[in-house]
Amino acid sequence: MLEVFFTLFLMMLLSLISTIAVYLAITERNLLRAVLFSALQSMCYAFLYYILMAPDIVLVYVPVSVGLYPAAILFLIRKTKECE
Amino acid sequence: MLLRRLITVSVLIVFIVLTSYTITALNVLGELPPRGLRPLALWFLNTSITPWLNYFSAMAPETVTAIVWDYRGLDTLFETAVFYFAIIASIALFRGIEEKRGGGYVGLSKIVRVVSRVLLPINIVVAASIAIHGTITPGGGFQAGSAMAVAPLILIIVFSRFFLKEKGLSKNLLIALRGAGLVGIGVASILALALGLLSGGYAFIFQNQPKEAAPTGLPPDVLGFPIAGTLFIFNVCEFIAVFAGFTIIFILLSIPEDVAREALHGEH
Amino acid sequence: MASIDLYMFTFSIIVISMIVNLAISLYGVLVKPNIVKKIISLTILGDSANTFAILVGYRATYPVSPPVQLNVPPSPSDVSQLTGLSVDPLPQALVLTAIVIGLAVNLFLIFLAIQIYRLYGTLNMREIARVKGGQHE
Repeated sequence: MLEVFFTLFLMMLLSLISTIAVYLAITERNLLRAVLFSALQSMCYAFLYYILMAPDIVLVYVPVSVGLYPAAILFLIRKTKECE
Repeated sequence: MLLRRLITVSVLIVFIVLTSYTITALNVLGELPPRGLRPLALWFLNTSITPWLNYFSAMAPETVTAIVWDYRGLDTLFETAVFYFAIIASIALFRGIEEKRGGGYVGLSKIVRVVSRVLLPINIVVAASIAIHGTITPGGGFQAGSAMAVAPLILIIVFSRFFLKEKGLSKNLLIALRGAGLVGIGVASILALALGLLSGGYAFIFQNQPKEAAPTGLPPDVLGFPIAGTLFIFNVCEFIAVFAGFTIIFILLSIPEDVAREALHGEH
Repeated sequence: MASIDLYMFTFSIIVISMIVNLAISLYGVLVKPNIVKKIISLTILGDSANTFAILVGYRATYPVSPPVQLNVPPSPSDVSQLTGLSVDPLPQALVLTAIVIGLAVNLFLIFLAIQIYRLYGTLNMREIARVKGGQHE
């Protein structure tokens, strides 16, 4: 019973932290910090997918959304010299 | 500014908690995570690996891989085609840009280089294991391809962007690898059809195991290791194709902007 | 609170916070003028929609298991035990396809953004509209 409570409490905490990260990512003027908040939101989502018993999706989501998307957007920011 | 953000975040959290408490207390949505399964999910789980149902089973212990490549194989074929077209479009936007290596020392410091030399073989081995064991554990072709795509990214950042070309992985070789992976997927999808026509019978495209109207099929295991017919070939070919595609994207993105601008102004 | 009420409360929190994520990222796609911010918001929008699809397949038994058969070759009692405890496998397969297609579209959008910067010199949609709108003479 304690394990069930712990799992459900972790699910609630992860979804609330992801909402905070999304709000901070959209309203941040500095683009580098916005990419970092987006990577934090992706980490929360990946952990949530693991608790929801979807291991194939976790194996796709962790390299793609925590590694490849921020790398490509960082290349884009560097090439276009955007600071804001 | 900081105070305004704090107020907005706390208003959001209070709104979420209050709304969900109202839904739970009023009990208006019925049983919210259900306790039973839908009939379609029961059908998939009951026929995924059942050796006593001769003409219905997909003989793969991992149900999600069996759905992706066997029950709904045509969806995955067209998804691979969409990814292929996106990479072709990106190569077409950046065509004709070559770069010669100048002098000087590029790359990061020695500590980072030594650590990368230790970690990169581990990355490649883990990705190959995810691809090969795609039918018995969670994994498969696309998962392994994107896990291995981190390796050329680290090589470009830590060593230099000319490192891959000096080691032999040029852009043309990667485009050829991607084409070879897609040809492998195409051949595997008509393999059962070819075997069926050769033995004088009847077969379908994307067929994996023997079905009732078409008794030819591919073997469900090799020397005791369950490979479920065409699923193993699909996983390995998709792994090669996805890895080559991501490496092309990172090679194109790492060319600096003044070199690209020079090459493009020469076109006008 | 009985146990089923706690499951329903947790599920409602996840669903409502995904709806809020969808709303904030949709605002980011439509209102913010910078193209890089639009691309970041589009990736968050796609991920929130995929999470909704995975949430549909969850199941409130205890202990809950992923849809993988552990005993090979299985006996009929193994198959019925998997059917009694596993989550729905079909939404996971559909979300896998959706992630790949979203990835292809977003990578192409990043390349197009670089091309827009080369042609117009800026990545702000309002200035591009002003420059492009002045050429309709």
